[in-house]
Amino acid sequence: MKNYLIIQLARFGDLIQTKRLLATLCARDDATVHLCVDKSLQQLARLVYPDVVIHPVTAHGTGLSNSEAMRSMLVDNRKAFDKLKSIDFETIYNLNFSGLNFRLAALFDPETVEGYGWNNGQEMIGLWPSMAMRWSSFRRIAINLVDFWAGYCPDMISPESVNPEAKAKGSGIGVVLAGRESRRSLPADILAKATATLGSSSKTDRIVLLGGKSEAAAGQAVIKELPKNLQEKTDNLAGKTDWTQLVEIVDSLDMLLTPDTGTMHLAAHLGTPVKAFFLSSAWCFETGPYGKGHTVYQAVTDCLPCLETKPCDYDTKCLGGFADPLFQRFLVTGKADHAPQGLIGFNSAFDRLGQIYSPFAGTDNDTDQRTKFREFIRQFHADDGGEISDLERLFAERIYRERDWMTKSQPVGTFG
Amino acid sequence: MNNLRILVVLPFYGGSLPIGRYVTSALKEDGHLVEVFEAPEFYSAYDSLKSLKVTTDRLEYLQNSFLNVVSQSVLAKVETFEPDLVLCMAQAPLNHQALKRLKRDGVTTAMWFVEDYRLFTYWKAFAPFYDVFAVIQKGQIFDELNAVGQPNALYLPLAAQPDFHKPVDLTPVEQRKFGSDVSFMGAGYPNRRIAFRELVNHDFKIWGTEWEGDHVLEPLIQLKGARISSEDCVKIFNATKINLNLHSSIQADELVTYGDFVNPRTFELAACGAFQLVDKRSLLPEAFAENELATFSSMDELIEKIGYFTSNPEECVGIAQRSRDRVLKDHTYKIRMRTLIEFTNERIDGWPKQRASSTVFSDDFPPELEQDIRQLIGELGLPEDVSFEDLVWAVRQQQGKLSDLDTAILFLDEWQKLYKIRM
Repeated sequence: MKNYLIIQLARFGDLIQTKRLLATLCARDDATVHLCVDKSLQQLARLVYPDVVIHPVTAHGTGLSNSEAMRSMLVDNRKAFDKLKSIDFETIYNLNFSGLNFRLAALFDPETVEGYGWNNGQEMIGLWPSMAMRWSSFRRIAINLVDFWAGYCPDMISPESVNPEAKAKGSGIGVVLAGRESRRSLPADILAKATATLGSSSKTDRIVLLGGKSEAAAGQAVIKELPKNLQEKTDNLAGKTDWTQLVEIVDSLDMLLTPDTGTMHLAAHLGTPVKAFFLSSAWCFETGPYGKGHTVYQAVTDCLPCLETKPCDYDTKCLGGFADPLFQRFLVTGKADHAPQGLIGFNSAFDRLGQIYSPFAGTDNDTDQRTKFREFIRQFHADDGGEISDLERLFAERIYRERDWMTKSQPVGTFG
Repeated sequence: MNNLRILVVLPFYGGSLPIGRYVTSALKEDGHLVEVFEAPEFYSAYDSLKSLKVTTDRLEYLQNSFLNVVSQSVLAKVETFEPDLVLCMAQAPLNHQALKRLKRDGVTTAMWFVEDYRLFTYWKAFAPFYDVFAVIQKGQIFDELNAVGQPNALYLPLAAQPDFHKPVDLTPVEQRKFGSDVSFMGAGYPNRRIAFRELVNHDFKIWGTEWEGDHVLEPLIQLKGARISSEDCVKIFNATKINLNLHSSIQADELVTYGDFVNPRTFELAACGAFQLVDKRSLLPEAFAENELATFSSMDELIEKIGYFTSNPEECVGIAQRSRDRVLKDHTYKIRMRTLIEFTNERIDGWPKQRASSTVFSDDFPPELEQDIRQLIGELGLPEDVSFEDLVWAVRQQQGKLSDLDTAILFLDEWQKLYKIRM
């Protein structure tokens, strides 16, 4: 038996987006796959990955008093670390660029760690994440995070087999009120209009508003903006669901309206159709819903995708397409002629590397470059040659560095 | 004053390298948190540039570029370790640019220049860039340092490291290999070559390098003039009845030069409890009393005293014991480092800077862990009242895979930084 460990200490959405990597490892002969996650996500991790051994540790900083944190870190985490150390892992995939991940890697032989490692007190970054940092300067042509994490394994399973094709499940519309970054979400009035439009056109019997406790008030604001007949069909469940309930609800829906959120990825995981609104720092080619049968409405102003950490100097002009009255008609018809300025409508699809999005309305000016870039990256993993593009040299010079060439040649190599 | 963070910058090679290692041990022994910049690990790459067969200007450019990378590596270490003091041994690879950067950033630097200032005159270009400049000589060097802009000069003679330079029990094989009536351990400087020709009729062994080309001495040279490790030096000192200690000189016409500084061998031999005959030096009387060392001031006197002490071995034992006692009392690297630190404290305003630190055992600390943490603190050689920050660094200094407790401590530290919490 071979044990593999994935260390995923980030948030809800990241946990779900680790699926292709997890599934790849699970598909290997005689493999036992382990997953180390923040304690707050252990229940969800067990629900979505029942075949995986979950190792919870305290990594997130929310809601702990000083003494609780000290106890969690030194007593509970120590026990968890002892357990991890006792297992003979073939490979450890340490996925997050965080001081916590680097230090957790100190438990293991650095030769067995991919991603973010620790070698005699020195933080080390592997080749694959180093390459991703280099291409982060051209985000518009980026690859999906699910595929990036799966990229640690050259034997990654086919993208089609990751999530079920999305199909309506019969129990109404779910609406996710906000993601962690409010600038990436639609304001209540716009969200309410979109909900009303889709609720009416689909003649839905039920609308559920989803989110955390802090979004309960936003839920009320959305309900207030809905037509009377829909208000009666709407439940504001923000802050009222545990992980089990959330999974059950999302798994029952006909569609989920959402910004780029963990719940969106959960829906994709369950095969529930997503209609996603991407704006601001959210860029569907990086973190769009994974699988077939999803729709993305991507804002495409020239300033996108921006950085969450940087204030917007343009009065969030990327909201314009969603605020345009034409958007409501476009939501219903999906016709290219009805698309407002500043938006592209995408259907989720696949190529040989993984998840892509094909425009059904609006013009994606980056398609050609992106296609060539994706082929360039695919060839990094595959040994079957492939298309040679006119951008080959540009990508090679941007993505491959001297030290890759001179000191390490294997994708598993690490640099510090 | 202990619990300082000190970065010791070693040279690529040379006589100050082992001294840098002794200094490191002494600082750790005194409770400081010490990090070492291992310049010797870079040297083979630097040296390989000399095999390029390129133009001299290109070679110089490459060498300077390489030295810049090494200097930048020291700076990066300073940035992460945040030392209270960067202690550089003579020839430490820090270029002007790096020293200026440290000064600009308010990082206190000290140089221990354990060389003869008259021979190694490069110090003039570097001394002004250090905050403190310690030397092994007195007198004119202080005026010269002042003249080049270095007001914080300190006389800091060499010393011994008692946990290394000590009496050792030798096996019969070792005694045979390393022992003799008379021996000398050191490099073949001109004055020594001439002087030792007069001793060839004794059971005399010469150890060390740079003795090539002398047919008279050749039969006495041990291990074909190979470099002798510091560990084997201690064995030689212990195995020899009379250890000769003739300070080096590049002059061949005056064999006993009556120079000023006292070489490290004087202190190391004494610390080993080994008997030595050492040439008189102007700074020797303040280090040892007359009855603590046997000295000579001419070749005639050396030859006479070899004869005398060969016939009176019990006197050797007494002198050796007294010299050892004196070294342990006054001439250890621990004492030298205390002197340096006190001097730095006197001369540099606001040094050491107050640093935010938190206690390991705060009120929130889980009591059931106390025993394990105290054991870890002991294993790491840290003081019992070590700050949490220093404990974290000491854990980080460990090599290889870390334990569950080590990792939990590192993880907690990182978590606190991430969420801006200090207990």
